[in-house]
Amino acid sequence: MKLFVFKSKDEFIGIESDYVHRIIDDSKVTPVPLTPESYTGLLYHRGELFDVINMRLLLGYPVDGSAETTRIIILKWLNKKLAVIPDEITGMIWIDDNSKNTNEFYHENHKIRLITPDDLWKKLSELSYGHNKI
Amino acid sequence: MIFGKNYQSFPMDITKYEKIFAQESGKYLKELEDLLMQVEKNLSNLGLWAEVHGKVHSIKGMARALSLNKISDLCHLMEEWCLKFQQGKIMSSTAAVQALFDSSEFLGVLISKNGRLDSFEDQKVYDRLISIFQKSPPENAVTVPVPQPPPSPAYSQPIIAGIDYVRIRYAFIEELLGLTQEIQLLAKRFPSFSKDQMSSGLKNWIDHYTALMKVLYFQLTQLRLMPVGDFADMFRKSIRNIAKENDKNIDFEIIGGEIQADITLLERLREPLIHIFRNCIAHGIEPTEERIGKGKSADGKIAIEARSEKENLYIKIRDDGRGINKSLIIKHLKEKQKITDEEIENMSEEDIYDTILSTEFSSSSGATELSGRGIGMRVVAQSVDYLGGSLTISSKEDIGTEFSIKLPLSLSIIYAIIFSVGKYTLAIPTLNINSIDRIDLSSAEKPESYYDTRKLMGIAGEKNNYATVLSLRYAADKAGFTDEKSCMKLIVDNVIGNRPLMILPMGELLSRIKLFSGIGIMENGDISILIDVDNLP
Repeated sequence: MKLFVFKSKDEFIGIESDYVHRIIDDSKVTPVPLTPESYTGLLYHRGELFDVINMRLLLGYPVDGSAETTRIIILKWLNKKLAVIPDEITGMIWIDDNSKNTNEFYHENHKIRLITPDDLWKKLSELSYGHNKI
Repeated sequence: MIFGKNYQSFPMDITKYEKIFAQESGKYLKELEDLLMQVEKNLSNLGLWAEVHGKVHSIKGMARALSLNKISDLCHLMEEWCLKFQQGKIMSSTAAVQALFDSSEFLGVLISKNGRLDSFEDQKVYDRLISIFQKSPPENAVTVPVPQPPPSPAYSQPIIAGIDYVRIRYAFIEELLGLTQEIQLLAKRFPSFSKDQMSSGLKNWIDHYTALMKVLYFQLTQLRLMPVGDFADMFRKSIRNIAKENDKNIDFEIIGGEIQADITLLERLREPLIHIFRNCIAHGIEPTEERIGKGKSADGKIAIEARSEKENLYIKIRDDGRGINKSLIIKHLKEKQKITDEEIENMSEEDIYDTILSTEFSSSSGATELSGRGIGMRVVAQSVDYLGGSLTISSKEDIGTEFSIKLPLSLSIIYAIIFSVGKYTLAIPTLNINSIDRIDLSSAEKPESYYDTRKLMGIAGEKNNYATVLSLRYAADKAGFTDEKSCMKLIVDNVIGNRPLMILPMGELLSRIKLFSGIGIMENGDISILIDVDNLP
């Protein structure tokens, strides 16, 4: 299994590369009112709208300005899509398929947390949108 | 020929061209057969023969380009006959026309197999046809052709009407949109030039070019629209099949099919609609004997109606079946949800039927008692909800049931007033704006009647005394609004302008925010959030 790895705060996060639709650079994200803090905004890319999520905030880390990347990871799976802002894109690693069901594993002494897009979506869905949030 | 020679090195291209060839030659074959039918009744019409010749020639040319030699060889021999008839050298005969019919039919087979004779049977037919055409055509008893006047203008006109529409894959439209958008982005990354490098002429040229690109992109987005009728037509076969499974006959009618809607929106309605149709057929429409007993037509009727009103799209599905048994819903409300008689008394018809859409109802015995009417309706309601729409049900016993889906702004271009509030760019359809004014709030008559949009959007900060104010206007037929609300005034930071917007439906997450009705894309690709004025708190 190919794993796409990115960094958020000090954590390495791996996501199955099949879900990674595209990495885009330098795109304008439009903020949307009444959304949770981790919801950065909307991205319009190639005729499609994407919800853009700040990974750091979604994981509950504060934003301290150390995030360098302007890159956005676009995920597509089943009938869903999501754009994620990482702190840094690390690269791609190969792991054996047995690791698929674990939550984390070690690669060259680094702990990598495995997530699925559904995990992210679930986390996002649990947040509140609209006026009941105020 | 080029493609043929390079067949091995361009396997991808060749499949693409083969597809085009199959489409195009299919069209020519159809025209060829139409012509043959005419010429059969009019053997000596030289003009018609010239047209037949033309069609065969076109197929031959395309087949040659792809090195589909079996096809081009047969066409070549057919052409030789046509040429003889066309020049009046030989009088054609019904036998000759029949041979041309046979070979045109076989060409159809060959084209579908990419020009390969993959069975012994095919080879036999092919050889037989070749041997027929290698001989001189069977002549008519009358060998001397009657001198023909030049082909009448009627025949030199194309036999089929001009092509108004073509079919395109939806993914192709998406590709085009993606490409144009990327070209637009290129303009944003234009390298900076010094004055010497950049003449004003070049600058103008670039500006003009980028402006045109924007317009092109905007126009292309319109390709995403599809007539609801074409969409509804896709259900015809499923409806027939479900009806057969249930031993029923259904007349399916489409009303308002010409209304255009966003393909992505329609695509997401596919599942819910099939669910509703299934419900109508299985549970709404009575068995034939029962219908006849009730004095109804033997075949059940299901209609789908599309209507656009303001920026909403309405899709209604009606059946003329037995309707929903209201007393069973009331029984459910009383027994399972402990709702009193008095409360039920006060419920509107709509509210009562909406019970079917609730989770409690779907999982209760009420649903089964209603012969499955409720099962899955919850799911349908949810899907419509995700699209930011709503579903209502109305029903009359023994007359029928109607499911009405109201959808928000389907993809279309609307004009909207774009404005900013804090860091947000928002929009309200121009239709809903009465006026835009600069007002000194300290001397305004009723300052409390002004709506603080900043607060509404969760932005902290004091409002300025001088404010830009949008006065709203509701449609005249909008019931339930007091005078106060119908002239609501919103305080905003800055008005950006009155711009055309392409409206996209919101995703699942944002659809939960009832205050928004859609996402507007401006010509430059910027995003604004469309406010649903009907849902302002």
